[in-house]
Amino acid sequence: MAMNDDHAVFLELASLYAVHALPDDERRAFEEHLRSCDVCARELRSFDRAVAALLRGVPQIDPPASLRDAIVAPGQRAGATARVARNASRWSAGWLAAAAMLIGALGLARYTATLRRDLAGLRQELQSALIRLDQTEQRLDAATRSVNASQLRIAVLMAPDLARIDLAAQPLAPRAVGRAFWSRARGLVFTASALPTLPPGRTYQVWVITTDRPISAGTADPDDRGTITAFFATPPDIPAPVAMAVTDEPQGGLPSPTGNRYLVGSAH
Amino acid sequence: MTADADHSTVARMAAGDQAALAEFYDHHGRAVYSLAFRILRDQRDAEEIVQDVFTQAWRESRRYNTRRGSVMAWLMTLTRSRAVDRLRRRRSRPQSAAPADPRADISDSAAPADEQLIWTVRVDEVRAALDTLPFVQRMTIELAFYEGLTHSEIAERLEEPLGTIKTRIRQGLLKLRERLAGT
Repeated sequence: MAMNDDHAVFLELASLYAVHALPDDERRAFEEHLRSCDVCARELRSFDRAVAALLRGVPQIDPPASLRDAIVAPGQRAGATARVARNASRWSAGWLAAAAMLIGALGLARYTATLRRDLAGLRQELQSALIRLDQTEQRLDAATRSVNASQLRIAVLMAPDLARIDLAAQPLAPRAVGRAFWSRARGLVFTASALPTLPPGRTYQVWVITTDRPISAGTADPDDRGTITAFFATPPDIPAPVAMAVTDEPQGGLPSPTGNRYLVGSAH
Repeated sequence: MTADADHSTVARMAAGDQAALAEFYDHHGRAVYSLAFRILRDQRDAEEIVQDVFTQAWRESRRYNTRRGSVMAWLMTLTRSRAVDRLRRRRSRPQSAAPADPRADISDSAAPADEQLIWTVRVDEVRAALDTLPFVQRMTIELAFYEGLTHSEIAERLEEPLGTIKTRIRQGLLKLRERLAGT
Protein backbone atom coordinates (compact mmCIF):
# COMPACT_ATOMS: atom_id res chain seq x y z
CA MET A 1 0.00 0.00 0.00
CA ALA A 2 1.02 3.58 -0.34
CA MET A 3 2.52 5.10 2.75
CA ASN A 4 0.24 7.64 4.31
CA ASP A 5 -0.03 9.54 7.55
CA ASP A 6 -1.84 6.72 9.24
CA HIS A 7 0.82 4.26 8.48
CA ALA A 8 3.23 5.00 11.28
CA VAL A 9 0.33 4.58 13.67
CA PHE A 10 -0.50 1.17 12.24
CA LEU A 11 3.09 0.04 12.50
CA GLU A 12 3.02 0.99 16.18
CA LEU A 13 -0.13 -1.04 16.58
CA ALA A 14 1.54 -4.24 15.39
CA SER A 15 3.20 -4.89 18.75
CA LEU A 16 0.00 -4.13 20.66
CA TYR A 17 -1.91 -6.44 18.35
CA ALA A 18 0.67 -9.19 18.81
CA VAL A 19 0.10 -9.31 22.58
CA HIS A 20 -3.69 -8.88 22.26
CA ALA A 21 -3.69 -5.47 23.91
CA LEU A 22 -5.98 -3.78 21.36
CA PRO A 23 -9.65 -3.20 22.08
CA ASP A 24 -12.03 -4.66 19.49
CA ASP A 25 -12.47 -1.55 17.34
CA GLU A 26 -8.73 -0.93 17.01
CA ARG A 27 -8.10 -4.62 16.45
CA ARG A 28 -10.56 -4.74 13.59
CA ALA A 29 -9.12 -1.59 12.02
CA PHE A 30 -5.63 -3.04 12.22
CA GLU A 31 -6.72 -6.35 10.68
CA GLU A 32 -8.37 -4.47 7.85
CA HIS A 33 -5.16 -2.56 7.30
CA LEU A 34 -3.08 -5.77 7.43
CA ARG A 35 -4.84 -7.17 4.41
CA SER A 36 -3.31 -4.56 2.17
CA CYS A 37 -0.06 -3.73 3.91
CA ASP A 38 2.97 -5.97 3.58
CA VAL A 39 5.07 -3.74 5.79
CA CYS A 40 2.78 -4.17 8.77
CA ALA A 41 2.32 -7.87 8.05
CA ARG A 42 6.10 -8.32 8.15
CA GLU A 43 6.31 -6.28 11.33
CA LEU A 44 3.68 -8.46 12.96
CA ARG A 45 5.47 -11.61 11.79
CA SER A 46 8.67 -10.37 13.33
CA PHE A 47 7.02 -10.79 16.74
CA ASP A 48 6.07 -14.43 16.18
CA ARG A 49 8.96 -15.77 18.21
CA ALA A 50 8.32 -13.35 21.04
CA VAL A 51 4.68 -14.39 21.14
CA ALA A 52 5.69 -18.05 21.00
CA ALA A 53 7.95 -17.37 23.99
CA LEU A 54 5.01 -15.95 25.93
CA LEU A 55 2.90 -18.98 25.08
CA ARG A 56 5.66 -21.40 25.97
CA GLY A 57 7.54 -19.65 28.75
CA VAL A 58 5.17 -20.28 31.64
CA PRO A 59 5.93 -22.51 34.64
CA GLN A 60 5.51 -26.08 33.43
CA ILE A 61 3.28 -28.34 35.47
CA ASP A 62 2.05 -31.85 34.86
CA PRO A 63 -1.66 -32.22 34.20
CA PRO A 64 -3.49 -34.80 36.33
CA ALA A 65 -3.48 -38.29 34.83
CA SER A 66 -7.27 -38.36 34.86
CA LEU A 67 -7.23 -35.63 32.26
CA ARG A 68 -5.39 -37.81 29.77
CA ASP A 69 -7.96 -40.56 30.25
CA ALA A 70 -10.79 -38.14 29.61
CA ILE A 71 -9.19 -36.91 26.40
CA VAL A 72 -7.74 -40.01 24.79
CA ALA A 73 -10.02 -42.77 26.12
CA PRO A 74 -11.89 -44.46 23.27
CA GLY A 75 -15.62 -43.97 23.21
CA GLN A 76 -15.46 -40.44 24.51
CA ARG A 77 -14.72 -38.78 21.22
CA ALA A 78 -18.34 -38.56 20.21
CA GLY A 79 -19.23 -36.63 23.32
CA ALA A 80 -17.31 -33.45 22.91
CA THR A 81 -18.04 -32.25 26.39
CA ALA A 82 -17.08 -35.27 28.50
CA ARG A 83 -15.63 -33.91 31.67
CA VAL A 84 -13.21 -35.30 34.20
CA ALA A 85 -14.90 -36.69 37.27
CA ARG A 86 -14.07 -34.55 40.22
CA ASN A 87 -14.35 -36.16 43.61
CA ALA A 88 -11.94 -33.86 45.31
CA SER A 89 -13.31 -30.48 46.16
CA ARG A 90 -12.50 -27.59 43.88
CA TRP A 91 -10.69 -25.96 46.74
CA SER A 92 -8.38 -28.82 47.48
CA ALA A 93 -7.64 -29.48 43.83
CA GLY A 94 -6.76 -25.86 43.15
CA TRP A 95 -4.70 -25.64 46.28
CA LEU A 96 -2.81 -28.78 45.46
CA ALA A 97 -2.05 -27.60 41.95
CA ALA A 98 -0.78 -24.30 43.26
CA ALA A 99 1.34 -26.10 45.81
CA ALA A 100 2.67 -28.45 43.18
CA MET A 101 3.64 -25.53 41.02
CA LEU A 102 5.48 -23.82 43.83
CA ILE A 103 7.29 -26.94 44.82
CA GLY A 104 8.20 -27.76 41.25
CA ALA A 105 9.58 -24.30 40.74
CA LEU A 106 11.66 -24.65 43.85
CA GLY A 107 13.29 -27.69 42.39
CA LEU A 108 12.63 -29.83 45.42
CA ALA A 109 12.87 -32.97 43.40
CA ARG A 110 11.72 -35.33 46.06
CA TYR A 111 8.58 -33.41 46.83
CA THR A 112 7.83 -33.04 43.16
CA ALA A 113 8.17 -36.75 42.62
CA THR A 114 5.88 -37.43 45.57
CA LEU A 115 3.32 -35.01 44.23
CA ARG A 116 3.47 -36.40 40.72
CA ARG A 117 2.75 -39.85 42.06
CA ASP A 118 -0.15 -38.49 44.05
CA LEU A 119 -1.59 -36.62 41.13
CA ALA A 120 -1.30 -39.68 38.94
CA GLY A 121 -2.92 -41.89 41.53
CA LEU A 122 -6.40 -42.33 42.76
CA ARG A 123 -8.49 -39.41 43.84
CA GLN A 124 -8.38 -40.54 47.47
CA GLU A 125 -4.68 -39.93 47.29
CA LEU A 126 -5.42 -36.26 46.96
CA GLN A 127 -6.81 -36.24 50.43
CA SER A 128 -3.73 -37.71 52.06
CA ALA A 129 -1.45 -35.57 49.95
CA LEU A 130 -3.39 -32.59 51.13
CA ILE A 131 -2.82 -33.50 54.74
CA ARG A 132 0.90 -33.88 54.12
CA LEU A 133 0.97 -30.62 52.27
CA ASP A 134 -0.85 -28.91 55.06
CA GLN A 135 2.07 -29.82 57.27
CA THR A 136 4.45 -28.09 54.91
CA GLU A 137 2.26 -25.05 54.56
CA GLN A 138 4.65 -22.86 56.46
CA ARG A 139 7.52 -23.83 54.24
CA LEU A 140 5.42 -23.09 51.17
CA ASP A 141 4.45 -19.77 52.61
CA ALA A 142 8.07 -18.76 52.80
CA ALA A 143 8.68 -20.13 49.35
CA THR A 144 5.87 -17.99 47.99
CA ARG A 145 8.02 -14.96 48.51
CA SER A 146 10.78 -16.03 46.21
CA VAL A 147 9.13 -18.27 43.68
CA ASN A 148 7.28 -17.20 40.64
CA ALA A 149 7.70 -13.59 41.55
CA SER A 150 6.28 -12.40 38.30
CA GLN A 151 3.02 -14.28 38.78
CA LEU A 152 2.66 -13.10 42.35
CA ARG A 153 3.11 -9.51 41.27
CA ILE A 154 0.50 -9.88 38.58
CA ALA A 155 -1.86 -11.45 41.10
CA VAL A 156 -1.51 -8.35 43.26
CA LEU A 157 -2.05 -6.05 40.32
CA MET A 158 -5.22 -7.89 39.34
CA ALA A 159 -6.62 -7.78 42.87
CA PRO A 160 -10.06 -6.16 43.13
CA ASP A 161 -8.96 -4.33 46.27
CA LEU A 162 -5.82 -2.86 44.73
CA ALA A 163 -4.49 0.32 46.34
CA ARG A 164 -1.57 2.37 45.09
CA ILE A 165 0.86 4.35 47.19
CA ASP A 166 3.48 6.63 45.62
CA LEU A 167 6.63 7.22 47.64
CA ALA A 168 8.58 10.45 47.33
CA ALA A 169 12.30 11.11 47.61
CA GLN A 170 13.84 12.16 50.91
CA PRO A 171 17.00 14.28 51.35
CA LEU A 172 19.29 11.26 51.51
CA ALA A 173 18.12 10.03 48.12
CA PRO A 174 16.86 13.09 46.26
CA ARG A 175 16.36 11.30 42.94
CA ALA A 176 14.73 8.18 44.32
CA VAL A 177 11.14 7.35 43.55
CA GLY A 178 8.98 4.47 44.66
CA ARG A 179 5.58 2.99 44.06
CA ALA A 180 3.67 0.29 45.89
CA PHE A 181 0.60 -1.69 44.94
CA TRP A 182 -1.14 -3.27 47.89
CA SER A 183 -3.92 -5.79 48.13
CA ARG A 184 -5.08 -7.03 51.49
CA ALA A 185 -5.74 -10.46 50.07
CA ARG A 186 -2.73 -10.83 47.82
CA GLY A 187 0.16 -8.85 49.19
CA LEU A 188 2.39 -5.98 48.22
CA VAL A 189 4.32 -5.21 45.05
CA PHE A 190 7.00 -2.61 45.63
CA THR A 191 9.16 -0.88 43.05
CA ALA A 192 11.72 1.84 43.53
CA SER A 193 14.55 3.36 41.55
CA ALA A 194 17.60 5.56 42.05
CA LEU A 195 18.26 4.33 45.57
CA PRO A 196 21.88 4.75 46.68
CA THR A 197 24.06 1.75 47.44
CA LEU A 198 24.19 1.11 51.18
CA PRO A 199 27.32 0.31 53.16
CA PRO A 200 28.01 -3.39 53.80
CA GLY A 201 25.81 -4.87 56.50
CA ARG A 202 22.92 -2.49 55.80
CA THR A 203 19.79 -3.23 53.81
CA TYR A 204 16.65 -1.40 52.75
CA GLN A 205 13.53 -2.25 54.71
CA VAL A 206 10.03 -1.50 53.46
CA TRP A 207 7.43 -0.40 56.05
CA VAL A 208 3.68 -0.43 55.88
CA ILE A 209 2.57 2.25 58.31
CA THR A 210 -0.80 1.68 59.92
CA THR A 211 -2.62 3.84 62.45
CA ASP A 212 -1.15 1.60 65.17
CA ARG A 213 2.46 1.19 64.16
CA PRO A 214 4.84 0.55 61.29
CA ILE A 215 4.79 -3.06 60.13
CA SER A 216 7.74 -4.49 58.27
CA ALA A 217 6.88 -5.70 54.77
CA GLY A 218 10.39 -7.04 54.32
CA THR A 219 13.88 -6.17 53.23
CA ALA A 220 15.25 -5.73 49.73
CA ASP A 221 18.53 -4.89 48.09
CA PRO A 222 18.67 -2.75 44.97
CA ASP A 223 20.49 -3.81 41.82
CA ASP A 224 23.47 -1.82 40.56
CA ARG A 225 21.17 0.82 39.10
CA GLY A 226 19.48 1.36 42.44
CA THR A 227 16.30 -0.41 41.38
CA ILE A 228 14.20 -2.58 43.65
CA THR A 229 11.33 -4.74 42.47
CA ALA A 230 9.92 -6.94 45.17
CA PHE A 231 6.87 -8.88 46.16
CA PHE A 232 6.01 -9.05 49.86
CA ALA A 233 3.35 -11.25 51.37
CA THR A 234 1.65 -9.05 53.95
CA PRO A 235 -0.62 -10.42 56.69
CA PRO A 236 -4.24 -10.09 55.54
CA ASP A 237 -5.39 -8.89 58.96
CA ILE A 238 -3.28 -5.73 59.16
CA PRO A 239 -5.13 -2.41 59.30
CA ALA A 240 -5.23 -0.47 56.03
CA PRO A 241 -1.92 1.34 55.49
CA VAL A 242 -1.95 5.08 55.97
CA ALA A 243 1.56 5.47 54.62
CA MET A 244 4.66 3.60 53.54
CA ALA A 245 8.33 4.24 54.11
CA VAL A 246 11.70 2.82 53.19
CA THR A 247 14.57 3.00 55.68
CA ASP A 248 18.04 1.51 55.94
CA GLU A 249 18.43 -1.09 58.64
CA PRO A 250 20.91 -3.77 59.66
CA GLN A 251 21.08 -6.83 57.40
CA GLY A 252 17.99 -8.97 57.96
CA GLY A 253 15.85 -6.03 59.07
CA LEU A 254 14.38 -5.03 62.41
CA PRO A 255 10.87 -5.24 63.95
CA SER A 256 10.50 -1.46 63.88
CA PRO A 257 12.34 1.26 61.97
CA THR A 258 15.49 2.81 63.38
CA GLY A 259 17.42 3.98 60.33
CA ASN A 260 17.32 6.89 57.92
CA ARG A 261 14.32 7.41 55.67
CA TYR A 262 14.88 7.18 51.92
CA LEU A 263 11.32 7.13 50.60
CA VAL A 264 8.03 8.13 52.19
CA GLY A 265 4.51 8.24 50.82
CA SER A 266 1.02 8.59 52.18
CA ALA A 267 -1.89 6.41 51.12
CA HIS A 268 -3.98 9.30 49.87
CA MET B 1 8.04 -33.25 18.60
CA THR B 2 9.31 -31.86 15.31
CA ALA B 3 7.03 -29.97 12.99
CA ASP B 4 7.06 -32.91 10.55
CA ALA B 5 6.18 -35.39 13.27
CA ASP B 6 3.39 -33.06 14.39
CA HIS B 7 2.04 -32.93 10.87
CA SER B 8 2.06 -36.68 10.47
CA THR B 9 0.36 -37.12 13.84
CA VAL B 10 -2.35 -34.67 12.84
CA ALA B 11 -2.74 -36.51 9.53
CA ARG B 12 -3.28 -39.77 11.44
CA MET B 13 -5.78 -38.04 13.70
CA ALA B 14 -7.60 -36.86 10.61
CA ALA B 15 -7.83 -40.50 9.57
CA GLY B 16 -9.50 -41.33 12.89
CA ASP B 17 -6.49 -42.88 14.61
CA GLN B 18 -7.10 -42.75 18.39
CA ALA B 19 -3.49 -43.67 19.14
CA ALA B 20 -2.37 -40.57 17.26
CA LEU B 21 -4.51 -38.43 19.52
CA ALA B 22 -2.90 -40.05 22.56
CA GLU B 23 0.55 -39.31 21.13
CA PHE B 24 -0.48 -35.78 20.36
CA TYR B 25 -1.69 -35.29 23.92
CA ASP B 26 1.41 -36.90 25.39
CA HIS B 27 3.61 -34.47 23.48
CA HIS B 28 1.66 -31.28 24.00
CA GLY B 29 -0.69 -31.83 26.93
CA ARG B 30 1.73 -30.49 29.49
CA ALA B 31 2.44 -27.29 27.58
CA VAL B 32 -1.25 -26.70 26.92
CA TYR B 33 -2.20 -27.41 30.54
CA SER B 34 0.59 -25.21 31.90
CA LEU B 35 -0.50 -22.25 29.78
CA ALA B 36 -4.16 -22.70 30.71
CA PHE B 37 -3.23 -22.95 34.37
CA ARG B 38 -1.00 -19.88 34.14
CA ILE B 39 -3.91 -17.86 32.82
CA LEU B 40 -6.73 -19.28 34.94
CA ARG B 41 -4.85 -20.29 38.12
CA ASP B 42 -7.42 -22.97 38.71
CA GLN B 43 -6.95 -26.65 38.09
CA ARG B 44 -10.53 -27.42 37.20
CA ASP B 45 -10.87 -24.55 34.74
CA ALA B 46 -7.50 -25.40 33.21
CA GLU B 47 -8.54 -29.03 32.73
CA GLU B 48 -11.69 -28.00 30.93
CA ILE B 49 -9.76 -25.74 28.59
CA VAL B 50 -7.32 -28.57 27.80
CA GLN B 51 -10.21 -30.87 26.98
CA ASP B 52 -11.81 -28.26 24.76
CA VAL B 53 -8.56 -27.61 22.93
CA PHE B 54 -7.78 -31.27 22.24
CA THR B 55 -11.35 -31.99 21.32
CA GLN B 56 -11.20 -29.19 18.80
CA ALA B 57 -7.83 -30.38 17.50
CA TRP B 58 -9.31 -33.83 16.93
CA ARG B 59 -12.41 -32.48 15.26
CA GLU B 60 -10.55 -30.11 12.99
CA SER B 61 -7.56 -32.30 12.19
CA ARG B 62 -9.01 -33.06 8.78
CA ARG B 63 -9.08 -29.40 7.91
CA TYR B 64 -5.47 -28.94 8.88
CA ASN B 65 -3.25 -27.98 5.98
CA THR B 66 0.34 -29.05 6.61
CA ARG B 67 1.61 -26.09 4.66
CA ARG B 68 -0.17 -23.83 7.10
CA GLY B 69 2.70 -23.88 9.57
CA SER B 70 3.33 -24.89 13.13
CA VAL B 71 0.78 -27.13 14.81
CA MET B 72 2.08 -26.10 18.20
CA ALA B 73 1.60 -22.41 17.45
CA TRP B 74 -1.99 -23.12 16.55
CA LEU B 75 -2.60 -25.29 19.59
CA MET B 76 -1.09 -22.78 22.01
CA THR B 77 -2.79 -19.76 20.44
CA LEU B 78 -6.10 -21.56 20.71
CA THR B 79 -5.37 -22.38 24.35
CA ARG B 80 -4.57 -18.79 25.21
CA SER B 81 -7.67 -17.55 23.49
CA ARG B 82 -10.00 -20.04 25.21
CA ALA B 83 -8.43 -19.49 28.62
CA VAL B 84 -8.54 -15.70 28.40
CA ASP B 85 -12.18 -15.84 27.25
CA ARG B 86 -12.99 -17.85 30.33
CA LEU B 87 -11.02 -15.48 32.53
CA ARG B 88 -12.98 -12.52 31.16
CA ARG B 89 -16.26 -14.30 31.75
CA ARG B 90 -15.18 -15.10 35.27
CA ARG B 91 -14.39 -11.43 35.81
CA SER B 92 -17.95 -10.90 34.55
CA ARG B 93 -16.92 -8.16 32.28
CA PRO B 94 -19.21 -7.55 29.35
CA GLN B 95 -18.26 -10.09 26.74
CA SER B 96 -16.50 -8.84 23.70
CA ALA B 97 -18.81 -8.68 20.72
CA ALA B 98 -16.07 -10.19 18.60
CA PRO B 99 -15.85 -13.96 18.31
CA ALA B 100 -12.90 -15.80 19.78
CA ASP B 101 -9.56 -14.60 18.53
CA PRO B 102 -9.55 -15.11 14.76
CA ARG B 103 -5.87 -15.98 14.96
CA ALA B 104 -6.84 -19.16 16.74
CA ASP B 105 -8.63 -20.37 13.63
CA ILE B 106 -7.03 -23.45 12.19
CA SER B 107 -7.00 -22.02 8.69
CA ASP B 108 -4.88 -19.12 9.84
CA SER B 109 -1.99 -18.10 7.66
CA ALA B 110 1.27 -19.98 7.55
CA ALA B 111 3.91 -19.66 10.21
CA PRO B 112 7.37 -19.12 8.76
CA ALA B 113 10.03 -21.75 9.36
CA ASP B 114 11.93 -19.63 11.86
CA GLU B 115 8.86 -19.27 14.07
CA GLN B 116 8.55 -23.05 14.12
CA LEU B 117 12.06 -23.35 15.46
CA ILE B 118 11.22 -21.67 18.72
CA TRP B 119 8.94 -24.51 19.72
CA THR B 120 11.98 -26.75 19.87
CA VAL B 121 13.85 -24.35 22.16
CA ARG B 122 13.89 -25.46 25.77
CA VAL B 123 11.36 -23.83 28.03
CA ASP B 124 13.99 -22.64 30.47
CA GLU B 125 15.79 -20.81 27.67
CA VAL B 126 12.58 -19.10 26.66
CA ARG B 127 11.96 -18.16 30.27
CA ALA B 128 15.49 -16.84 30.61
CA ALA B 129 14.80 -14.52 27.68
CA LEU B 130 11.59 -13.32 29.35
CA ASP B 131 13.49 -12.77 32.58
CA THR B 132 15.78 -10.27 30.89
CA LEU B 133 12.89 -7.86 30.33
CA PRO B 134 12.69 -4.94 32.74
CA PHE B 135 9.97 -5.59 35.30
CA VAL B 136 7.57 -2.88 34.18
CA GLN B 137 7.74 -3.95 30.53
CA ARG B 138 7.19 -7.57 31.35
CA MET B 139 4.38 -6.80 33.76
CA THR B 140 2.59 -4.67 31.18
CA ILE B 141 2.91 -7.33 28.49
CA GLU B 142 1.71 -10.01 30.91
CA LEU B 143 -1.35 -8.00 31.89
CA ALA B 144 -2.36 -7.97 28.23
CA PHE B 145 -1.28 -11.43 27.20
CA TYR B 146 -2.23 -13.55 30.21
CA GLU B 147 -4.90 -11.42 31.88
CA GLY B 148 -6.67 -10.29 28.73
CA LEU B 149 -6.60 -6.57 29.49
CA THR B 150 -6.57 -3.97 26.72
CA HIS B 151 -4.04 -1.16 26.68
CA SER B 152 -6.51 1.29 28.18
CA GLU B 153 -7.58 -1.16 30.89
CA ILE B 154 -3.93 -1.59 31.83
CA ALA B 155 -3.44 2.19 31.91
CA GLU B 156 -6.43 2.52 34.18
CA ARG B 157 -5.26 -0.24 36.49
CA LEU B 158 -1.74 1.10 36.85
CA GLU B 159 -2.91 4.72 36.85
CA GLU B 160 -0.50 5.62 34.10
CA PRO B 161 -0.95 7.42 30.79
CA LEU B 162 -2.08 5.30 27.85
CA GLY B 163 0.95 6.43 25.85
CA THR B 164 3.28 5.08 28.52
CA ILE B 165 1.58 1.70 28.42
CA LYS B 166 1.74 1.50 24.62
CA THR B 167 5.40 2.46 24.56
CA ARG B 168 6.22 -0.04 27.27
CA ILE B 169 4.55 -2.90 25.43
CA ARG B 170 6.31 -2.03 22.21
CA GLN B 171 9.71 -1.63 23.85
CA GLY B 172 9.33 -4.86 25.76
CA LEU B 173 8.36 -6.77 22.67
CA LEU B 174 11.22 -5.28 20.63
CA LYS B 175 13.61 -6.30 23.37
CA LEU B 176 12.19 -9.80 23.48
CA ARG B 177 12.42 -10.07 19.69
CA GLU B 178 16.06 -9.09 19.86
CA ARG B 179 16.82 -11.54 22.70
CA LEU B 180 15.20 -14.39 20.86
CA ALA B 181 16.83 -13.69 17.53
CA GLY B 182 19.69 -16.05 18.34
CA THR B 183 17.74 -18.92 19.87
